[in-house]
Amino acid sequence: MSKDKFRVGIEVGGTFTDLIASDGNKIKTIKVPSTPLRPDEGAMNALLAANIDASMIKELVHGSTVATNAVLERKGGRVCFFVTRGTRDLLLLQRHDRRSIYDLHYKKPEPVIPRHDTYEITERMSADGSVVINLDRINAAEQVRNSLGNGRFDSVAICFLHSYANSDHERILEEIVHQEFPNLPVTCSCDVTREFREYERASTTTLAAYVQPVIAGYIKRFSKSLKECGFKGRFSIMQSNGGRMPAEAMAKNAIAALFSGPAAGVVGAIRGISSSGYNNLITLDMGGTSTDVSLVSNGESKLAPMTMIDGLPVKTPVIDIATVGAGGGSIAWNDDGGLMRVGPRSAGANPGPACYGRGGTEPTVTDAHLIRGTLQADSFLGGHMDVDIQLAKDAFAKLGEFFELSVEEMADNTIRLAEANIVRAIQQISTERGSDPRDFVLVPFGGAGPLHAARVAEDLNIEKVVVPPNAGVLSACGLLLSDHIHYRTKTRRLALIDDNIKNIRSVIVELENETSNYLNSLKIKGKIVYDKVLEMRYVGQAFEVSVDIKNEDIKKLTAQRLSELFAKAHHQIFEFSKIEGDPVEIISFRVGAQINPETLSTNETGATCSSTLGSKRIKMTERGKRLTADVKERANLSSEPVNGPMLIQDVNSTIFVPQEWKVSKDAQDNIILVKVN
Amino acid sequence: MVVSPVDQAVITRALVAAADEMGIKLIRSAHSPVVREAQDCSAAILDKDGRVVAQAELIPIQLGSITHTFKACLKYHPLDTLRDGDFLINNDPYSGGQHLPDIFLFTPIFMDGGLIGVTATVVHHIDLGGGAPGLNPDAGDVHEEGITLPPSRYSIENDWKGGPFERLIRANVRMPDSTIGDLNAQFAANAVGGERLKDLYRKFGAETIIPAMQEMLNYSERRIRTAILNAPDGTYSGQAWLDDDGRGGAPVLIKAEVIIKKDQIAVDFQGSSDQVRTNLNSPFASSVSSAIACIKAVLTDPDIPFNEGAERAITVKIPHGSILNPKAPAPVRARLLPSYRVVNAVMDALSHAVPDRVIAPGFDTTSVSCLSHRKDTGYNIYLEIFGGGFGAGPDNDGCDAVDSMLSNCSNIPIESMESDYPFFRVEDYSLRSSSGGDGRNRGGMGFQRIYRILEEDVTFATYGDRFKIAPQGLKGGFPGAKAETFVERGGQKIPLESKQHFSLLEGDRLVIRTGGGGGYGEPKDRARDLKKQDILNNVGGNIVQ
Repeated sequence: MSKDKFRVGIEVGGTFTDLIASDGNKIKTIKVPSTPLRPDEGAMNALLAANIDASMIKELVHGSTVATNAVLERKGGRVCFFVTRGTRDLLLLQRHDRRSIYDLHYKKPEPVIPRHDTYEITERMSADGSVVINLDRINAAEQVRNSLGNGRFDSVAICFLHSYANSDHERILEEIVHQEFPNLPVTCSCDVTREFREYERASTTTLAAYVQPVIAGYIKRFSKSLKECGFKGRFSIMQSNGGRMPAEAMAKNAIAALFSGPAAGVVGAIRGISSSGYNNLITLDMGGTSTDVSLVSNGESKLAPMTMIDGLPVKTPVIDIATVGAGGGSIAWNDDGGLMRVGPRSAGANPGPACYGRGGTEPTVTDAHLIRGTLQADSFLGGHMDVDIQLAKDAFAKLGEFFELSVEEMADNTIRLAEANIVRAIQQISTERGSDPRDFVLVPFGGAGPLHAARVAEDLNIEKVVVPPNAGVLSACGLLLSDHIHYRTKTRRLALIDDNIKNIRSVIVELENETSNYLNSLKIKGKIVYDKVLEMRYVGQAFEVSVDIKNEDIKKLTAQRLSELFAKAHHQIFEFSKIEGDPVEIISFRVGAQINPETLSTNETGATCSSTLGSKRIKMTERGKRLTADVKERANLSSEPVNGPMLIQDVNSTIFVPQEWKVSKDAQDNIILVKVN
Repeated sequence: MVVSPVDQAVITRALVAAADEMGIKLIRSAHSPVVREAQDCSAAILDKDGRVVAQAELIPIQLGSITHTFKACLKYHPLDTLRDGDFLINNDPYSGGQHLPDIFLFTPIFMDGGLIGVTATVVHHIDLGGGAPGLNPDAGDVHEEGITLPPSRYSIENDWKGGPFERLIRANVRMPDSTIGDLNAQFAANAVGGERLKDLYRKFGAETIIPAMQEMLNYSERRIRTAILNAPDGTYSGQAWLDDDGRGGAPVLIKAEVIIKKDQIAVDFQGSSDQVRTNLNSPFASSVSSAIACIKAVLTDPDIPFNEGAERAITVKIPHGSILNPKAPAPVRARLLPSYRVVNAVMDALSHAVPDRVIAPGFDTTSVSCLSHRKDTGYNIYLEIFGGGFGAGPDNDGCDAVDSMLSNCSNIPIESMESDYPFFRVEDYSLRSSSGGDGRNRGGMGFQRIYRILEEDVTFATYGDRFKIAPQGLKGGFPGAKAETFVERGGQKIPLESKQHFSLLEGDRLVIRTGGGGGYGEPKDRARDLKKQDILNNVGGNIVQ
């Protein structure tokens, strides 16, 4: 690793900061502790620890939890919020429901903007987008000066009723704020999401405005540190949709980074094993406190239209991920009705599992593995960390007494229950959405994913588990492997009739040109693939359905074909579609230009295993059986399948192969587990 | 057979998840905004003996009635007579139901020829005929409130899907496409639950599933009993009043005597008012559900799953012919109003037993806002359920502007209603700044909703309460503000009653204000930083006695 320029991915997580660096020949991975107060320091530390000269980096991709934490810890900017007269309490009224129905002391999720920072503007649109009350520029300008004049605010959010149908008033007010206060960033609801339901849209808009100043400041500070170290390369940031965006653009669209961490892992999994021909996968990312699972069909992950953060709705496209409170630190317990539980409470990083000897006394999933033997005392951080099995056993003693089971049986049950929780999460994103898990391979990663994957697969009748190389730092890999994505939208209302096909095509071409010019201006080179989405609705409806248009559809574009695609998409969401021939219209166009980055070549992926452990045999208990298992290193596997039970030590994770499973390694260095029938 | 702890936990989680999934699919595929947006519906899974083992926690009051409506069906159609492809239906308030709009639909689930369980959904339907669209405040008996579907069995293939029963319903309701669409959503959700139940049977086998379901009931029962055991034995009494019966006159009394003995609670409503002429009668099942929901909320942790086992430790006695157990054919549409006073009376009683676990009385009222528009092409009916402020607790301010305890309806977004109901526009939807009772902890605030009527031939129908009698504060806290409704017409203010219908004119402004919750503790003890926040946010407490 000398003269060649590096490509580097740095993922800042809650506990660890992961780094992966590639020089085209070899890759290097490193894990350092995160520095939660100043996450960029952890990132700089990782560069230092990896001994990488910043001036040698041609490309740096970064993912962090900065935006997420700003919301969770309520450390965002101070936002001034403008709404339609009569809707001042939009954020406090929310949806009038309770998430815990028998709770007498119920408290609604707390909005990020207080009542006294919300101001009403006289204006009104109707549901069809016609103006009911005009926005008076002179009055509005005066009100803007009055509310913003004292200089207390870091940013401005605007959400007017029915702006998804007509955004003119939001635009006018934005313009006024820009004129009066040119330095204040403004977020309009119509830019964040063009969908009806005012509370959800307002929540997203205010969250965007709230994290904006924090992200902008963070990126600025990080860029400065990098520059001081001589960094001259391209700096980009991961988005929640799984694509990356230049850092300077991200500083203006911070909400797009809210869920970038889990997204990076999914991209890592997709790209990591696609060269082996796997396109349908279920990803399983198990960390210290929780597990994220998601579904990938034909090499593409599904985007969910809405998600929540701290109980507040976020309506921006996010990779569809289900999270369950089952991680290595999840605590096993019995409730006052005598039902056994695992999680969602976690021992976290501190004190951590009982066996760490840092004062934790409650039994965790990690302790259970140590007792069972599926984790070996010398495998924690490649043997660099001391653990005490007796502490783990002590932690389980009380629970064992309660259920009248031995400590070994309790440990076994704890793991089975954690696995059942993961199975439930996978069912949520597969069977409950009409997909059959048997059509997928399971791709585990994160520290603990590969330990549980085979048994989880079994419960779902999945026959194959694929563990990609670098499974322990796959999110950082995902950063390097993610596409550059840039989206542009255009509102243009067109009836869906054959006479309009020419217009439809020309809008799409126009957007393609705009997006590709933008990527070119950033000197990002490569083959551009376009993602084309039409927002369509039945005439008379108040909201649109997103319809994906594939390249083959563009060639033979007809009103008939488009209306079929629309009916299908509509049915998927609302479980009904109207009869053929019902008039349909297009409201807006969205085109994303994507450029695939250089991949990590296969000869790069032979990451060295730092563990010095030789092959040995151990005793373990699993699903009530005493077993003798081989312990091997990843490097010792070949394309010839061998039988479990077996433990495989990898750089930052351990893979468990149960008794009825076989394991081998494929040409791309993936480890393949197959169920023996 | 004893189920291993891990199998028990897995099966419990899976059944609750299946019920939740039924609820989500029901909401998603329904047609009317009252289900799609407001989520006035529930779902449950019953074991092969017809006992509710798992429920989607959506609407508390509906959940309690699933058992009662199903048992009434079994009286006419015992379990061993059910066949694959059958369904059971019931909305009869005098056969375990609550009020007519809530239709309970049951699908027996079969595997290898044997009954393995039953899936159930209940939906509030927008209109089931009767004397007025959506809601008939003037009904003198249950027949004027709509069509009764007594507990009965039909075949999906022969009677539904365009068959005679579907046509019978279609012919008797004002918005048939919505009603049939919402019922189809119930069928679909029941089918989803059935698939999940079959999956579980395949995986674990009957020999494990059956005792596991049994244990789920025992589990809830154990947890409730443990909680009751922790409350001191004794006989405690409480009471609460409704403003009136909807025709003016005296307040209506609800009286509860709560006897706690070891791990058992008995509630007796002897002394409560006789049944009334108007629709403010609470059928037996509603009254029982309300009492149990209150006891569960006060004594136990929110996470105890509500199923039939939870009811075993609680017995309820109500005199026949009283407002809480009326005789047919008394009208019952507004049954939630007396049901809420059941909650208040039981909580009042419990406040003597476990003073630190109760909260001050809140708005605790369901206010219905129903606007219907008749055009040449048919009816368009809007209906929304409003709550108000929760009572404050010993350690917290009451929740603002939220649905009351027995219900859990979401609001319908303004942007959604204005596209579905073009005959009105919402000009204001905001918190009522000083409506929560002042106190060390402030009562929750009520809210205001103002509609501008844009067409002729629009009728408003409503029921509500707390227009005359405010919810009192606890331990020195002030009462919450009372509710009010009025119409602004040409500069004039026309006050409306809490229970009535009213013809609106184009240009009218209809103003609905729901009430706040009672405060807790003396206002002078309110923390200084909270007082500062109150001033900054302009949300001071109500100090009108």
